[in-house]
Amino acid sequence: MKALLYKQFRLVCHPMTVVFCFFGVMLLIPSYPYTVSFFYVTLGLFFTFTNQREQRDLYYMAILPVRKRDAVKGAVLFAGLIELASLVLSIPFAILSSRINPIGGNAVGLDANAALFAAGLLIYAVFNGVFLPALYQSGYKVGTAYLKAIIPTTLVIAVCESSAHIPALLWLNDTTAAGNIRQLPLLFGALILYIAVLALAYRTAAKRYEKVDL
Amino acid sequence: MDVLRVEGLTKRYPSFTLDHVSFSVPRGAIMGFIGRNGAGKSTTLKSVIGMVHPDEGRVLFMDRDASADERYMKENIGVVPGGIDFYPKKKLRAITRVTSRFYPNWDDAKYEHYCKMFSLDEEKRVDQLSSGMKVKYLIALALSHNAKLLIMDEPTSGLDPVSRDELTELFRAIVSDGTRSILFSTHITSDLEKCATHIAFIKDGALLHSGTVEEFRRAFSDHGNTLEEIIVSVERREWDEGAII
Repeated sequence: MKALLYKQFRLVCHPMTVVFCFFGVMLLIPSYPYTVSFFYVTLGLFFTFTNQREQRDLYYMAILPVRKRDAVKGAVLFAGLIELASLVLSIPFAILSSRINPIGGNAVGLDANAALFAAGLLIYAVFNGVFLPALYQSGYKVGTAYLKAIIPTTLVIAVCESSAHIPALLWLNDTTAAGNIRQLPLLFGALILYIAVLALAYRTAAKRYEKVDL
Repeated sequence: MDVLRVEGLTKRYPSFTLDHVSFSVPRGAIMGFIGRNGAGKSTTLKSVIGMVHPDEGRVLFMDRDASADERYMKENIGVVPGGIDFYPKKKLRAITRVTSRFYPNWDDAKYEHYCKMFSLDEEKRVDQLSSGMKVKYLIALALSHNAKLLIMDEPTSGLDPVSRDELTELFRAIVSDGTRSILFSTHITSDLEKCATHIAFIKDGALLHSGTVEEFRRAFSDHGNTLEEIIVSVERREWDEGAII
């Protein structure tokens, strides 16, 4: 598995995929829909999977001593690592954002707090759950897979950002320590959901890709 | 002993059927897999290495079922796919570093030896290599992990006569110690004359003959004396008078 991930980063990863991982810096922008930074990460993954097709990576995988499902596993783990890295790299900016912006000061949507990270995991889960199985149905229709995935992903982004405006859910905007602790169950729930969907996306994608003739 | 046995390989497409193809590659042999464009050569080779799922039939590599023991086969073969450039903008060094991690029996010393032998510059990108050098690079990778069988899809296609001659000479050198074998598809009969010990001849998805070159000549002696004469005689289609309208 280490060899597959090494291959993914050395030969397939698009430079912008790594750059977008640092888009957590957008959390410093006053009054901004912060979940957009997660959207950029999905765009980065789209670039990498397009690159994977253009570099004929799947053909190369087919001649290496690797099972087809392992080739899928490498790609799924890569997507997971990129997404989780983007969240981890956003933490310092979220802390800084909560210091420099007034509490509940984001007039657009969610503030930079634990609830925002839960939303990030939810957004990535929806994206992975649609994009990866759709992509490995053919192995090469990256644009179609991305289009299929980005529609529900955008809807989830809209729902998450809107939730901050519902009076009963105003606690989701709390950036104080107590507010973040109250949001932690949401974060853990989203993490479990994210892992479960990633595993399911892998199983479905691998099953579909087994049937593909190159 | 046969290093590869293909038994009853069948793949049905809407407009083409690969029909119960069977042949075997003995150890130390260079088998030329011939047939005109669209005869089923690439489909057969892709089925052998698992890129295409056959509807029927099986492939045995060193007497082990290739589909059940895919990793074993892939660790012990080298593949040169036809017309596919991998990672065209990457340097050879980067591709080699990645590739070596997938083979437990990778030998760095052998790789350096073959790079020198083939004058491969690791700092070059794939798209800076000529067609002949790309084939040599993939052969260098295969020999560096001690592949027992090299499967190549039209490796000499599009090469100038001198490069083709170099490659066929290289093929003979690769199998000279009797431990390695080569299966390569081609439609260039002069390559077969130069290096093939065995021939598998496919037409319209069905295998017409497989065996040694001598057996092939005997079987088709009424079609001509040279391999080119035989293949042209078997493959050629006469046009109807009303073909051009």
